[in-house]
Amino acid sequence: MDPVKVAAVQAAPVLLDRDETIAKVVTLAGKAAAEGARLVAFPEAFVPGYPDWVWRTRPWDADATALYARLFDQAVVVGSPATDLLAETAARLGIWLSVGVDERDDRDSTIYNTLLHFAPDGTLAAGHRKLMPTGGERLVWGTGDGSTLQVVDTGFGRLGGLICWENYMPLARAALYAQGIDVYLAPTWDNSEIWVPTLRHIAREGRTYVIGVTSCISAADLPADLPGRDSLYGDSGDWLSRGNTVIVGPEGDILAGPLTGEEGVLYAEIDTTRAQISRQQFDPVGHYSRSDVFRLIVDTSPRAAVSLEEES
Amino acid sequence: MTVLRVAAVQASYVLMDRDATIERVAALTGSAAREGAQLVVFPEVFVPGTPLWIDTQPIWDGDEEWFGLLARNAVVVGGPASDRLAAIAAEHGVWLVVGVDEREAHGATIYNTVLYFAPDGELAGRHRKLMPTGAERTVWGMGDGSTLAVVDAGRARIGGLICWENYMPLARFHLYAQGVDVWLAPTLAQGDGWIATMRHLARENRMFVVGVNPVLHADQVPAGFPARDRLLAPGYLEQNGPWLEEGNTVLVAPDGSVLAGPVREREETLIADLDLRTVATARRHMDPVGHYHRPDIFRLCVDTSPRPAVTELNRRGAHDENPV
Repeated sequence: MDPVKVAAVQAAPVLLDRDETIAKVVTLAGKAAAEGARLVAFPEAFVPGYPDWVWRTRPWDADATALYARLFDQAVVVGSPATDLLAETAARLGIWLSVGVDERDDRDSTIYNTLLHFAPDGTLAAGHRKLMPTGGERLVWGTGDGSTLQVVDTGFGRLGGLICWENYMPLARAALYAQGIDVYLAPTWDNSEIWVPTLRHIAREGRTYVIGVTSCISAADLPADLPGRDSLYGDSGDWLSRGNTVIVGPEGDILAGPLTGEEGVLYAEIDTTRAQISRQQFDPVGHYSRSDVFRLIVDTSPRAAVSLEEES
Repeated sequence: MTVLRVAAVQASYVLMDRDATIERVAALTGSAAREGAQLVVFPEVFVPGTPLWIDTQPIWDGDEEWFGLLARNAVVVGGPASDRLAAIAAEHGVWLVVGVDEREAHGATIYNTVLYFAPDGELAGRHRKLMPTGAERTVWGMGDGSTLAVVDAGRARIGGLICWENYMPLARFHLYAQGVDVWLAPTLAQGDGWIATMRHLARENRMFVVGVNPVLHADQVPAGFPARDRLLAPGYLEQNGPWLEEGNTVLVAPDGSVLAGPVREREETLIADLDLRTVATARRHMDPVGHYHRPDIFRLCVDTSPRPAVTELNRRGAHDENPV
């Protein structure tokens, strides 16, 4: 397989403004595609932004409620004009486009932290709802079921990923390794220095390319009419997220980044043959597994809260 | 008592000399105990050392004498060598964890095993590496699922995996689920990528991690070692440098921060006080087998039964199992 160029976009969303943020996705994806990127990855919950206030407010304060109301209004419904525009962008640019969104169903009220993968033919090839939000996130996001753990074949490698601290779930990672993942996306809000060793570990454990991609946003980027703008947030020195975007090769080698403190696009050449050959040394679901000792069963069935069925 | 003083001993073995290496264990354990260490951890297959020839020579190319040395110097559990290790633990009143090349009393297959001796001299735990790496598969067999138990060391629950077993997510998860506060990772693995893994593991299960390596310079291979010149051919040393074991010993806190090390290219015992209360505190953020698990989606089944080569079914046993 020939090497291909991939891009990880570290940028600021227009917080809680879905259409403005999607416009930014369209522009930045176009720029990366013009540089030759065949896959362009955006951060966790990029559209319309990560609910940073869950770490700043008391859970049920008025500001928190007002912010939640705006998040609800601006969340992305799959199959709506918002996802249509993302799909059209992938098709027009002929790229794989992976974007983190705050997602909800058109009838349901719970918001999910979801990663959408659009194919170059303009289809939504796969999506993943985060299985478990972290800490304060549990106040705004629901939990996905096992039906969205799939890996998709891009033609230049098998693509999938987990969101933020899901990457600390060994069994979820194993479910992706077992599907032959070569290009592993890890959109995150985690700004810590230790996050980079985690991505290097995952690369070595799964012998996969890992693309960690993070928002970069300070209080200076916030819309003036954001609820709680002045009470919760300071000035440009007040970082919501400094960024931590990094691209890692299948032996844990850092190919680009980490990028912090500025917006930017990281590029790397990836060669999935290299990942596959690297598994001569270690293959967690092949010669280095012990299927006689360990048996992992993953329930991938969709789990609707209620199934409305006709009696048969 | 919530603080445990741990010592990770980065030292050189006396290559393929079991008794001389065990006397090194005795001396180094004594030194660590005098520093107040309550848990003393030695590297992977420290006794009697790494079968270096598997990487310096083509496989099976004139290695008979070396393998013979390894087999004769391997540690038999319950034999004089393991009794001596138990006595060292008891003499100093410490938890002593040592990697050994192990074999059955009448067996010729060598296992890569870690032995856990309690301060009273009892053998409290034992883990045979489940899967050797690369050329290691030509000298070591594979353990079964029966040696994956975490050990209750009173003050802390201790356990771990050996070298690249640490990349087996299901094996780790099985140990995490037993509750482990201090993770022991005896290894030969070199370089920064390994340190990233040690830090990741700490943060994944919010536990202390002790990575411990041997260190060995080419000059430390005994002068009388059989075919010494062939073992350390000039081309090999020129390509790989004089450190046959570079070392990489490191201590990591439950938030993934490095407490000490990594130490390389010298002998050194890293000592640290581990405040065990910080484990539970850190798990409010991440508990991979608790609030951050999804048991409705993921079900891990582990066969922990011993799997001997043969299970004898005598007439009486068959009668007991299946009354007619």
